[in-house]
Amino acid sequence: MDGENNLSVIKLKNILLVTVPDDPGDDIIQELQTKVLHAIEKYQSKGLILDISSVNILDSFFARTISETTQMVALMGGQTVIAGMQPSVAITATELGLHLGKAISTLDVDRALDIFTDNFKLV
Amino acid sequence: MAIEETGENPIKNEGDIVTCRKLIRNVATTAGFGMTDVTRIVTAVSELARNVYVHAGSDGVMRWQLLYQPGKIGIQLVFEDYGKGIPDIDQAIEAGFTTAGTMGMGLSGVKRLMDEMHIQSELGIGTTITVAKWGRAK
Repeated sequence: MDGENNLSVIKLKNILLVTVPDDPGDDIIQELQTKVLHAIEKYQSKGLILDISSVNILDSFFARTISETTQMVALMGGQTVIAGMQPSVAITATELGLHLGKAISTLDVDRALDIFTDNFKLV
Repeated sequence: MAIEETGENPIKNEGDIVTCRKLIRNVATTAGFGMTDVTRIVTAVSELARNVYVHAGSDGVMRWQLLYQPGKIGIQLVFEDYGKGIPDIDQAIEAGFTTAGTMGMGLSGVKRLMDEMHIQSELGIGTTITVAKWGRAK
């Protein structure tokens, strides 16, 4: 699997949108973190939407990396919103005891955009 | 045509974690497990395969087998490594225990996701973790 083809960081005004592939390997998750942080610096972004609506597995490694990324984005002055977690993933992640740190969650990307528009006046 | 009843996949590198997940997702879905149970099983596979990869430092393997009981379908997964072994199994299963800088939810979490878990470990020889999940037959 070629991680480069699976991960694109899209700039939307003051925020970034990243769509995570359905079954991301550890390498892709690490790449996501690096790409996001560099894109935030490059575009001076104030926020990040992680679209995980395709993701069908969220294990402790993924959760830890998302939580860390949220923290790193916060250190760079940005807010992270996790959008679109599937019901079976939410059930499993909770049973496994995972948490996503300080990230805000929304049902989908539309609602994530609403948060950035209404709460942070960024879009 | 019956589906395959048993198989195995090596765990030698990071990429094998994804390979094991895809394989078991396919097996569990075909066997008739519901979507949430498939997610539970695949998540357990991810945790245990990574465990082998991170802690064993040498070749490991995942073996799977479908189990049948009247009205029920089951899947058994065995993760075998030849690593340094677990000194204190009870401590390893405790929530929050970690030696690898992770959240420490691995083994305690897997125990919650699956119906059965058994750990056999010998210092210097290796570790075998066996888990099973049961569902209603189609």
